Amino acid sequence: MNDAPRGIEVMHKGEGSLLTLLKEAQRRHGYLPEEVVSELAESLDIPVGEVYGVASFYSLLSTKPLGKNVIRICKCVPCYLKNSQAILETVEGELGIKPGETTKDGKCSLQLTNCIGACDRAPAMTINHKLYVDLTPRKVIKILKRL
Amino acid sequence: MLPLFGGDENLSVDMIPVTLNGTKVSAQPGMTILELARENGVDIPTLCYRPELTPIGACRICVVEVEGSRTLVASCHTPVAANMVIHTHSPKVLEARKVIVELLLASHPDVCLVCDKANTCELRKIAADLGVGLPRFRVKKRYHPLEDVSPYVVRDLDKCILCRRCLRACHEIKKADVFAIAYRGFDSKVVVDQDQPLNKSVCRDCDVCISLCPVGALTKREERFKEKKGPPLFIKA
Ligand code: SF4
Ligand code: FES
Ligand code: FES
Repeated sequence: MNDAPRGIEVMHKGEGSLLTLLKEAQRRHGYLPEEVVSELAESLDIPVGEVYGVASFYSLLSTKPLGKNVIRICKCVPCYLKNSQAILETVEGELGIKPGETTKDGKCSLQLTNCIGACDRAPAMTINHKLYVDLTPRKVIKILKRL
Repeated sequence: MLPLFGGDENLSVDMIPVTLNGTKVSAQPGMTILELARENGVDIPTLCYRPELTPIGACRICVVEVEGSRTLVASCHTPVAANMVIHTHSPKVLEARKVIVELLLASHPDVCLVCDKANTCELRKIAADLGVGLPRFRVKKRYHPLEDVSPYVVRDLDKCILCRRCLRACHEIKKADVFAIAYRGFDSKVVVDQDQPLNKSVCRDCDVCISLCPVGALTKREERFKEKKGPPLFIKA
């Protein structure tokens, strides 16, 4: 292990800046490896469990390695009412994976996320933080082909 | 001669007038509704509350009706206010409490008959008191493997009701912070570090979490499947 926590500068101890630091760590490593979580806890001087608790709470953070493209399908009610189930089934069918899984070639990870603020154009999903709205199964197949 | 001290009004603490189940009572400022009720001999069931721990209002079993309030309030962490009109056992309150217990039982394993907590389980006692039998809601149960690597504490998290007593006890009394809450919603779980099975040496000679767990989720290794001394369950008329 090199310098704590992987070069992320910790300005203040305590949990105040935890979320920002976790986001930064995730940006750098693609996910939150075990060592990074424990190093972060140590430099912030808070329990490891607390850092892990926050890391596992938010769907935008991941404690498992992710594929090159992270597909996040909204699972909240407005999208559900606009049949996000069909979108999920299409993606599952096309990629052959379930939410929480990554394809064998490491190309795509599928996740469910809470509302991403695009309810007015539901159903919605994001791929690597790019937003896709007004989805239909056909549209989804097209988008996936382009990845 | 001039009095050395001020008049009586400076010495007496301001008492707050409150109506509790139709009776006028007075409360000290800062007191919670639960404390007031217990002081006046009114029994409100509680699960996440413990007098020695900071109240967090997690389980909602202690809800009461306060006139003028849009929702029922959790009495364990709601301070009394002047002229509050409180009902601790109105039909609305009893119905809510029943549903809360049913929901807790819905995802709880049906193993009471063989559970080590037996007749000392607080959840079972409250369910019996409220007359809750089999829950109406048949939903999927949580499944967590039994954690018995620690020589001191055995954790069976299927039974955990997420009251966070163990967390607070470890943090506030033992000052060890062994536990934390991870994941979200139905998947929420009391974890150790990065969800590793509990196996810490600080747990030797300390069973504060075990003694406070209201259900059978935490047990002392050497006391598993031994006879329990507890008041027998009874059902209130
Ligand atoms: S293990 Fe016991 S004390 Fe801890 S949160 Fe679960 S039910 Fe409460
Ligand atoms: S509910 Fe799906 S974007 Fe808001
Ligand atoms: S006892 Fe009040 S909310 Fe749990």
